Amino acid sequence: MLELKHELKLAKNRDEKARMNFVSGLRAHVLNDMATGMRAVWDADVEPAFRRARGRGPKDGPEVHKAIKPNEYFKFYSSLRVTAQDMVWQSVFPPLERNRPALKDKAAKLGRAGKARGSLTLDPALEVPRSVSAIDVHLMAGNYDGEYEEGDLAAGALYDNGLAVFSFGLMGQNLDDIGQSIAGFIKLKYPDLKPRRILDLGCTIGHNTGSWKDHFPEAEVTGIDVAAPCLRYAHARAEAQGRAVHFKQMDAQSLGFPDASFDVVFSSMFLHEVPRKGIEKIMAEAYRVLKPGGLMLHMELPPNSQLSPYDAFYLDWDGAYNNEPFYKPFRDCKPEELCWRAGFDPKKYLQFVIPSIGWYGEQVWREAATRPIGVDNDKTGRLTDGILWYCFGAFK
Amino acid sequence: MRRTIRGGRPYFFADPAIDKILNMVVVLASEVWTLRERLAAMEALQVRQGSLGAGDIDAYDFGPEDEARLAGERKEFIDGLFRVLQEQVEEAKARVARQPKPEAKAGLKGKPKSRPKAKAKAKAKAKAKTRARRR
Ligand SMILES: C[S@@+](CC[C@H](N)C(=O)[O-])C[C@H]1O[C@@H](n2cnc3c(N)ncnc32)[C@H](O)[C@@H]1O
Repeated sequence: MLELKHELKLAKNRDEKARMNFVSGLRAHVLNDMATGMRAVWDADVEPAFRRARGRGPKDGPEVHKAIKPNEYFKFYSSLRVTAQDMVWQSVFPPLERNRPALKDKAAKLGRAGKARGSLTLDPALEVPRSVSAIDVHLMAGNYDGEYEEGDLAAGALYDNGLAVFSFGLMGQNLDDIGQSIAGFIKLKYPDLKPRRILDLGCTIGHNTGSWKDHFPEAEVTGIDVAAPCLRYAHARAEAQGRAVHFKQMDAQSLGFPDASFDVVFSSMFLHEVPRKGIEKIMAEAYRVLKPGGLMLHMELPPNSQLSPYDAFYLDWDGAYNNEPFYKPFRDCKPEELCWRAGFDPKKYLQFVIPSIGWYGEQVWREAATRPIGVDNDKTGRLTDGILWYCFGAFK
Repeated sequence: MRRTIRGGRPYFFADPAIDKILNMVVVLASEVWTLRERLAAMEALQVRQGSLGAGDIDAYDFGPEDEARLAGERKEFIDGLFRVLQEQVEEAKARVARQPKPEAKAGLKGKPKSRPKAKAKAKAKAKAKTRARRR
């Protein structure tokens, strides 16, 4: 298991660490080894049977899903993946509950006015959308916004410590591989962009927001989210890491910023947790707050339209079994359409597949900025060894 | 050395999945018990030698070398726990290896593009193994 590198990390005893290590290893086994095994079973048994019965191969992800569902290996893969997902959060609860008072004190000290480099602005009147308040996304009990006391930040700590277990090393030492890979890539690819104001939508605990500050130290970086406990934690976390980031509680569907006020509007792993109608509002808001010449960029799961039926099925597993009701509807969208419907010029649409800098190292990652990688690759957007991050967006 | 049983294994429950779960639970129980015996021996020895105090184990952090060794052992542990599932994959692979490629014969299209990457995959797997050991 990855140990968090900042001051807010939870103190854990020997057994708690061992349990987390085990769950991380279990996830690596399911998502690397068993995922490979499931593909072999598909190629050897399920797909040939499908072809015999229909005289053709499956045409999309749902057909693959339906065909593989009765298969025993699929059942074990799925059942173990659900078990592991649940165990991720369960492994965090005991140390989190014990450490809660200490955590609150530390956060208060880190965020003290006058000392903090960044800021935290909450809006108690904000109505949290039901797509957040009514479900426990990815089996995370309490979700992002669950609060148990005044000024609570436990949900943020659950997410941070849980992600460290969940990611089995594939999301970077500071859980910021996405931010580091992408912010650095944009700087490399568009040296003239020189953003002065950068916005991160649905930033949760700001783990990928801070990377923008690292790569563009001159810029003012703001992260917004609807979940107050995550934002409180995000603020303290950024301060602990010595980064000046401003966190604001806002709904990305109606941003409280003036028109043309940002050079970059970014999000990562965000849109797939938003209902279709909300996504359209968010894209329109991104367009509105962008300056002309500014860049909107969303790191996301790759769209089904660009994947083989098997890979589409594989990525949609979460939509069916991981409490992610908006996952598949998002992945069924065409990203380019989302952009032009929001007002972006179709000619200014762009998409990238960016190698994880942590996995591939700097050289491969640098080369990718000059030599585009195709989306149709079974490592794109898939949490597995050799992961590649998918991004789409447009210049205004 | 091959660790799968040729000719398969007998199943007793209406659903063979239950036999497999039972296998995992028992493998796990065996590991847990082994651990308990080892721990008991270690604690007894240390107390006898007077080198272990209350709370010492909970407060202990492994150094990087021990951490890396444990990561490798943990991977083996987990692989062993689910070895019974690997049998289905190996049987499937063996069957495919024995058969001539059906799509080459029938000229069917629509195969995912990532197929001819077996070599790259094997490489990535080898890399993953060394990496897991480092974890
Ligand atoms: C999966 S997390 C995003 C993780 C993070 N950006 C990353 O890079 O990993 C989704 C986040 O979006 C937030 N969210 C959901 N709907 C929102 C909305 N309409 N406006 C702002 N934030 C929202 C949730 O509270 C949650 O923190």
